[in-house]
Amino acid sequence: MLGMIKKIIQYPRVTVSYPKVPFNSPYLTGKPKINTSLCNRCGACVASCPTSAITVDQTGQNIGINLDECIFCSLCEEVCPTKAVWMSIEFELAEKDRKILRTSPLIIEERVVPDESYQAIGEQVKSKLKKTFGRSLQIREVDAGSCNGCDYEINALNNPFNDLERFGIHFVASPRHADMLLVTGTACRNMELALVKTYNAAPDPKMVVAVGACACSGGIFRDSFATRNGIDCIVPVDVYIPGCPPRPQAIIYGILKSLDRIKQ
Amino acid sequence: MSSQNFLDLLKQRFPGEIHRSALINDNELYVEIYQEKVPELSRFLVEEKSCALVSLFAADERANPSGCFAIYYVFGVTGANLFIVFKTLIPETKPVFQSIACHIPAAQLYEREIQDLFGLEPQGHPDPRRFALHNNWPPGVYPMRRDFDGRQKPPFVVTEKADQFTRVQGAGVYEIPVGPVHAGIIEPGHFRFSVAGEPIINLEAQLFYVTKGIEKLCEGQSIEKCFYFAERISGDETFANSLAYCQAIEKIAGIIPPERANFSRVIFAEQERLVSHLGDLAGICVDIAHGFGASQFRMLRGWTYQMIEEVSNSRFLRSVNKPGGLRKDFITGNEKRILEYLNRIRKELTETRNIIKSNSLFADRVEHTGILSNQIAKDLNVVGPAGRASGVHKDLRKDHPYSAYGKLSFDIPRHQNGDVNCRYQVKLEECFISMDLIIQSLEAMPPGKVREPVTEVEAYRFALGYSEAPRGENIHWIMTGPDNTVYRYKVRTPSFCNWPALCHAVKGNVVPDFPLINKSFNLSYAGNDL
Repeated sequence: MLGMIKKIIQYPRVTVSYPKVPFNSPYLTGKPKINTSLCNRCGACVASCPTSAITVDQTGQNIGINLDECIFCSLCEEVCPTKAVWMSIEFELAEKDRKILRTSPLIIEERVVPDESYQAIGEQVKSKLKKTFGRSLQIREVDAGSCNGCDYEINALNNPFNDLERFGIHFVASPRHADMLLVTGTACRNMELALVKTYNAAPDPKMVVAVGACACSGGIFRDSFATRNGIDCIVPVDVYIPGCPPRPQAIIYGILKSLDRIKQ
Repeated sequence: MSSQNFLDLLKQRFPGEIHRSALINDNELYVEIYQEKVPELSRFLVEEKSCALVSLFAADERANPSGCFAIYYVFGVTGANLFIVFKTLIPETKPVFQSIACHIPAAQLYEREIQDLFGLEPQGHPDPRRFALHNNWPPGVYPMRRDFDGRQKPPFVVTEKADQFTRVQGAGVYEIPVGPVHAGIIEPGHFRFSVAGEPIINLEAQLFYVTKGIEKLCEGQSIEKCFYFAERISGDETFANSLAYCQAIEKIAGIIPPERANFSRVIFAEQERLVSHLGDLAGICVDIAHGFGASQFRMLRGWTYQMIEEVSNSRFLRSVNKPGGLRKDFITGNEKRILEYLNRIRKELTETRNIIKSNSLFADRVEHTGILSNQIAKDLNVVGPAGRASGVHKDLRKDHPYSAYGKLSFDIPRHQNGDVNCRYQVKLEECFISMDLIIQSLEAMPPGKVREPVTEVEAYRFALGYSEAPRGENIHWIMTGPDNTVYRYKVRTPSFCNWPALCHAVKGNVVPDFPLINKSFNLSYAGNDL
């Protein structure tokens, strides 16, 4: 007992101050960037990108990266002969619109979410919703086919460093208690039904946040017999958090963004 | 016993049955035998020579000159750095093979997997239900056959046998279905408990909810791209899986990675083990409601993540490995930082361990909970910390040394009781061993380059790649195809071996202890489902 008290005094608080104080670490791997003036359009990065996230338009001049597909492997940085591509330390990448994350046009498969009857009423209260949830939010996490990397990072939100409860946000055991679904993974064939059922079980109004490249676009597991290309083929998504996996602070940023609690 | 001795022994015992054999990559003895003889020879290896069945898989080699499916049985030889691989051919016209599951229980799930994915029927299998495919999958469609287009999505069907769990009947027996979406932040899987009162009579786990088709996705892809699939087999075992993949590719290409890369790989592999074990220890504390322990272990884990990220620029050790070595020299200039972190972690871990040790409530919850008997552990080839807690003292780092493990001195924890306490102790002890190994490697590593480039691999060559992941032995097998592609990639992660053991370990325990027992195994769903 005495030992425990000693430890509690020794480490009274290890929680990081993010997002009040910006999280700046020179060690992290963030958004890949292309310096178009240095780029000679040789196509080395386009050819080597494991998820084909780097695209060049028909003119062959406009090169860009679809961040929703990027797995942050930094191979583009390695293969670029002119050092035009580099991995920045920008990690706050969450966006409400997937188009903002992309440079090439977006095609989402048609989706049919059964039982959308309350959707319309939900839309009406959505304006009030962020004000309501802004102070207290209950999250249900759903793994719809990830490699478990994203799930470990979501788990890390509960550790003493990130302590998500300080925002009044916490994880609940049932979708019935949830205001938000935090979904990871590509929406596997065998998880499709479970995802739809979980979505329908969460009371309206609700939000859905896609965590990681797989949930945003299918990531590296796109176009397989057992996967769908991102969860927005199945349920509507409010915020997309790119990353493979996104670090805990990036997930916090995404959750707060969905609540409009990020100062622009 | 050397490979030649083993081969002579087999030839002597089974004259005329071995029609081809070859020793490749120094320690893989491939022996081609007839299908009918597989049960006999396998039993000889397992029952008389105490070898363990470490992998069993099929490959669609109908396009090859043989024109047949091939099944490979991989056995690890105890006490010698040798793998024996039986290869047998199955003609397309007669898609059946002799099951060995009745005598070698570890083969059960592999054979069911082959049945689902390749459409080859194991004859005499004690439990030939569907396994790797769910009931929504149309019958007669076999995704791992090469004529199945990996991009097509077969329609969802409703089959008659919708509910295929074993029924326990009797007065007062009821079932508790759990999942696939669980209460905690974990991966999906369905558990079906049969319970009378509180104690669990039977547990069946239905997995494969997160099947992404990794083995199919890798078919025909470049070896460069497949590396990224290997890294994403199971998020928290990124390095162990990428290491096994790289090893296999290096063996096929005939490249020996530089010494510095080997030692660096040990450092990263042990960092991954440390981070994974600390997470498990925190999880055990959470499930015992020991908030203090959970908070301490999570803090330690956080520090380990910081160390890993500062050294490798990735919290999950992604993009660190590369076939041929490492992507760059991550260690140079970071030695002092690693040592500082390790000193801090070691001191705190020692103090935390001592505080928890004195807590009688903690001991009460973990001792005699979730006992996995030595016999079951042996029969099912339980690997990793779970095996080492139940008297199966195997470790690839010791038995089949890879990277620089042969040059380092270390011991593995040896426990016998197989309860949660033993698994907890094994993981705790391994944390200290991992830290020792990192320090030894830092001292021993020579300067020099960290990568020998892999430019081209010969087609239709194959090799085993293996590593001791935090959860146990990890066996990959790769056959290359033309133009530097992968023809067949078989992944067998430790979770695949240990899932059935979990179902045995919970029997007789009360339902509220299930989360604790589950956490003490901490198996990966993604690593099992692929």
